[in-house]
Amino acid sequence: MSENSANGVSRFAVELGVAALTGGFGAAVCYGSLDIGAGWTEMGPDAGYFPFYIGLLIVFGSLVNIVQAFLKHRGTEEIFMDAGRAKVVASFLLPLTAFGAVSAWLGLYVGTALYIAATMLFQGRYKWWIALPAGLGVSLVFFVVFEIGFQVPLLKGPVEAWFGIY
Amino acid sequence: MKKSVSIACMIAAALGVAAPAAAFEPNRPVEFVVTAGPGGGTDIFARTIQAIIAKYELMKSPVVVTNKGSAGGAEGFVYTAGYKGDAHKLAFGTNNAYLLPVRAKVPYKAEDLTPVAALASDEFVLWVNGKADYATAADFVAKAKEGGLKIGGSQSKDVDQILTSMINDATGAKISYIPFKSGGEAAVQLAGEHIDANVNNPSENLGQWQADMVKPLCVFKSVKLSSEAKVAGDKGWGDIPTCKEAGIPIDNYSMPRTVWLPGGVEPDVVQFYADVLRKVSETPEWAKYLADTSQSPVYLSGEELKSAVEVDGAAVSEVLKREGWLAN
Amino acid sequence: MENIGLLIDGFGHILSWNHILLMMVGVTLGILVGVLPGLGAPNGVSLLLPLTFSMDPISAIILLSCMYWGALFGGSTTSILFNIPGEPSSVATTFDGYPMAKGGQPSRALTLAFVSAGLGALAGVVMITLLSGWVAKFALKFSSPEYFAVYFLAFASFISMGAQSPFKTLVSMMLGFALASIGMDTISGNLRLTFDIPELIKGVSFLIAVMGLFGIGELLLTSEEGLRFEGIKARVKLAEIGRTLIEIPRYWLTIARSTIIGIWMGITPAGPTAASFMSYGVARRSARDKSLFGKGDPRGIVAPETADHSAGTSALLPMLALGVPGSATAAVMMGGLMIWGLTPGPMLFTDRPDFVWGLIASMYLGNVVAVFLVIATVPLYASILRVPFSIIGPIIVAVIFSGAYQVANSVSDIFLVIGFGLLGYVFKKLDYPLAPLVLAMVLGDKAEDAFRQSMLMSGGSLNIFWSNGLVSGLMALGLVLLLSPLAFWLIGTLRRRRHDVAPHGDGNAAA
Repeated sequence: MSENSANGVSRFAVELGVAALTGGFGAAVCYGSLDIGAGWTEMGPDAGYFPFYIGLLIVFGSLVNIVQAFLKHRGTEEIFMDAGRAKVVASFLLPLTAFGAVSAWLGLYVGTALYIAATMLFQGRYKWWIALPAGLGVSLVFFVVFEIGFQVPLLKGPVEAWFGIY
Repeated sequence: MKKSVSIACMIAAALGVAAPAAAFEPNRPVEFVVTAGPGGGTDIFARTIQAIIAKYELMKSPVVVTNKGSAGGAEGFVYTAGYKGDAHKLAFGTNNAYLLPVRAKVPYKAEDLTPVAALASDEFVLWVNGKADYATAADFVAKAKEGGLKIGGSQSKDVDQILTSMINDATGAKISYIPFKSGGEAAVQLAGEHIDANVNNPSENLGQWQADMVKPLCVFKSVKLSSEAKVAGDKGWGDIPTCKEAGIPIDNYSMPRTVWLPGGVEPDVVQFYADVLRKVSETPEWAKYLADTSQSPVYLSGEELKSAVEVDGAAVSEVLKREGWLAN
Repeated sequence: MENIGLLIDGFGHILSWNHILLMMVGVTLGILVGVLPGLGAPNGVSLLLPLTFSMDPISAIILLSCMYWGALFGGSTTSILFNIPGEPSSVATTFDGYPMAKGGQPSRALTLAFVSAGLGALAGVVMITLLSGWVAKFALKFSSPEYFAVYFLAFASFISMGAQSPFKTLVSMMLGFALASIGMDTISGNLRLTFDIPELIKGVSFLIAVMGLFGIGELLLTSEEGLRFEGIKARVKLAEIGRTLIEIPRYWLTIARSTIIGIWMGITPAGPTAASFMSYGVARRSARDKSLFGKGDPRGIVAPETADHSAGTSALLPMLALGVPGSATAAVMMGGLMIWGLTPGPMLFTDRPDFVWGLIASMYLGNVVAVFLVIATVPLYASILRVPFSIIGPIIVAVIFSGAYQVANSVSDIFLVIGFGLLGYVFKKLDYPLAPLVLAMVLGDKAEDAFRQSMLMSGGSLNIFWSNGLVSGLMALGLVLLLSPLAFWLIGTLRRRRHDVAPHGDGNAAA
C-alpha cells in the first residue's frame, strides 16, 4: 500500500517492517525460553524466566511501535529512501555482501584483495594498475600484521593452500 | 563454514593418502584450541606446553593458540570436532571434554574427539574462611548437616558442583551450591565470608591462604599431596589431611588436564602428538609448572587414557543422573 | 604515608632506559591492537605472554601493562575517527567523539580523548598508591547482591538519556538483553535460545554487534550521503592540539566526577565498559545545556574516556590485592604472574613489594609515555581521513571483517556483522536508539547472573537486596536515578500546563 516506485520506500512501510521483525524476534525469544523453563522456582528464577519476559516486552514494544507508525507516519509523504539513494547504498552494500560470501569460500586474504581492488576500480574509477596493487597490498599488510606479527590466523582458503600457506 | 570444513577434510584426506608409510609429522601450523578464556587454568596449561615445545623444538611446525572458551568450553570442542580427520587441530581441556555432552545439549559427542593424552591432574581441596571455627572437615560436615551452608564454585553442573553433590551424598549434608564464573570469584567470595566454603583447586586459593583469609580443611585424594614446600607460613600442601581421614568419605576426586584431536584421525597422528606431549611432560619446565600450580604429575595416553576417561566419565555420570542433570 | 616511600622505591626499580624502551614498545603494540577491532587488549597481552617467560617479572609486567594502556588509547581512536569502537570500553566515546570529528575537528576530539584518558588513568594510579589497603578490604564486602546493585545503578544512570520514543528505546534495550542471554547460562549450565544452531552456542559476541551496528551501519549511512566522508577534511594544525590542551581545564568538574565513577566501577569491579557508559550518562544528565550531546559535545568525550581509563587502571588493584581480575586483560596478566612464579593475592604486597610498587610506578610512567606517543600520532590519524572514501571505506570494511572473524575464528560472524550493520543503519534512520541495546548487551548477562546468584543465596527472597547498608544504599541511589527523570518530567509538564505554554515539544529536555 505504501510501495511507491517513483519515490522509493515510504518510512511508514519500513517502520512497519522493522516493528514486525523485532516482534517476530521477541516471539522467538519467548518460544525458546518456554523450552527451558520460564518459571520462578523456590531457588529464584529459572533459566528462561528473564528471557521470557524480555521476549514479551519486545513483542509489546513492537506492537506499540506498529500502532505509532499508523498514527505518526501513515499517509505522510515521508520517504525512507528514494530510488537514487537506494542505488547508492546498494552499490556499497552489495559488494560488501559479496565480499563476505567470497571470503567464506576463498578466505579473507583473497576476499580482501578482490574487494578492495574491485571497489577502487568500479567505484573509485581508478586505473587497474593502481587498484590491483592496492588490493594486494592491503591483503599483504593484513598478512604481515595478523599472521606474522600477532600470530592470529585469518580465514584461509584453497588459494593459500596452493602456495603452501595454511 | 561448511565449505572450509570440507576443504580441511580434503586436505586431510590428501595427506593420509600421500604419506601412509612415513611417520606423521605436521607440515603446517598446528592450532591449539584452548577451551577456556585467556588467563584460566586451561589457558596456562596450553600456553606452557606451547612454550616448552618451542624451547625444545619438539615440533617443526609453528603452534598457534586460540581461545574458544564460551559455553563452558563447548565452543572449542564443537570447533575441534568439526574438523573431522584434521591432524592439525588440538583441543586442550579438562574432563569437561566428555562431561559437557552428558549434561548439556551441546552439538558434539564425546566420540567426535580422539583422546591424545592427559598431562596433569588438578586436585580439589575443601576450603573455609580463615576465621571460621571449623578445625576439621568433620566439624564442617556436622554443621552442614543442619543445612543452610553454601559452597560456591566455578560454573554450573561442572566439577565443583558435582563434588558438592558427592559430599552431600556421602555425608548426608545439605549444602547448597552457588555457581560463579570462575574459581577466582569463588575464592574472593569465600574470603569475604559471603559463602561458607569452596572446593577450589590449590592454585586458585593459594593467595588467600597465604594471607590467612581462607584455610584448607582437607584434600580429595587418597594420599596427602606430595609437595614439601611450606607455601603458607609454616604450612604446606603436604600438611593438608586427606578428606577420607578427616571425615568425608570421598576417596579420590581430581580433574585431569587433557588434550584431544578431532575424531577420525590416523593412529600415527595420535601417536605423534602423544609422543611430543610425553617429551613435554619430562622437561624440568613442566615439573616447575606443576609445582607452581600445585598439580599432580600424570601422564596417560593410548588405552590407559581411554579406560581412565571411561571410569571417570561413568563415575561422574552417575552423580549427574542422581541429580537429574542429564541432558538427554 | 608509608606508601609514598614504597612508591619512590618502586621508581628506583624501574627507572632505566631498558624499561622506558619496553614501555614504548608495549604502548605502541597496544595502540595497534586497540585500533584493530578484532584484536582486544586481552588477545594482545596473551600473545606477548610467552615472550615474557624469559624476562624478569618487573620487565614483563611493564611490557604487558603498557600494552594494556596502549590498547585502551588505541580503542578510542577508531571510535572517534570511524565510529568503530576498537575496544568495548570505547563505545561511549563514539556518541560525541565521532560527531565532533565529522564536524571537522578530528584533532580536537582525539586530543580531548587522549588527555582526559591520561588524566583518568593517573587518577586511578594515585588512588591505588594511596588507598590500596583500604580499597582491597572494601572490595571484599562485595557479593552478588552488591554486584547486581552496581549494575542496576549503571543502568539507571544511563537509561533515561534522550529517547525520542520510549517504546523504541524499550525494544532496543530488550533486544540487547535477549542477545546477551543467547548461549550458555552460567547459573543452570544449560544452553539457552540457541535453537540447536551450532554457531549460536558461543553466544552473540558484543564486539560483533558493536562492529556491525556502529561500524558497518555508519559506513552505510555515509555511503548514502554519496560515498564520501562529509566534512572531515580539516587539516591538522599543531595549534589545534595546543588549543585543545588549554581548553581541558574547563571540564574539571566532568573529569573529577568521571574519575570517581571510573575508580568506583573499576574496583567494584563492574569494569571499564560499564564505567564509561555510566559516566557519559551522568555527564549528560548533569549538564545544564544538553542540546550538544550526541552532536559533538566535548564533555561527551571527556566523560567516558576519563572513566574508562580510571576504571582500567583501578581494575588492576583487585588483581594485585585480592587475586581477582577486574577485567579480562587483568585475568591474562594474572595468569602471567603465576607463570613468573608470583602468587597474585593479598600477600603479594608484603612478599614482593619491589614487584608491586615497580608495577605501580610503571603505571605512572607508562601512562605519561602513552599520552605523548598517542598525541604524536594524531596528525597521522587525522590525515587518514583525507583519503577518498572509495579507498578508505573498503579498507575499513576489510578491517571490520577480519576483526569479526578473529573474535571467534568463525565465518558465521562475518555474516552476523553484516546483519547487525543493516540493523544499525535502519535503526538509526528510524530513530531507534542504539546505546541502550549496547549497554544491555554488556551488562545484561552479568546483571542476571548476579541476580540469580543472590536468589540462590537468599533462597528466593528479594529482601537480600535490602539486607545491609551497602546494598541498600546502592539500590536506593539506583532507584532515585531511575525515577528522577520521570519526576522532573512530571513536574515540568504540570508547570507548563499551568503556564499554558509549551516551548519545548519533547518532554525530555526538562532538568
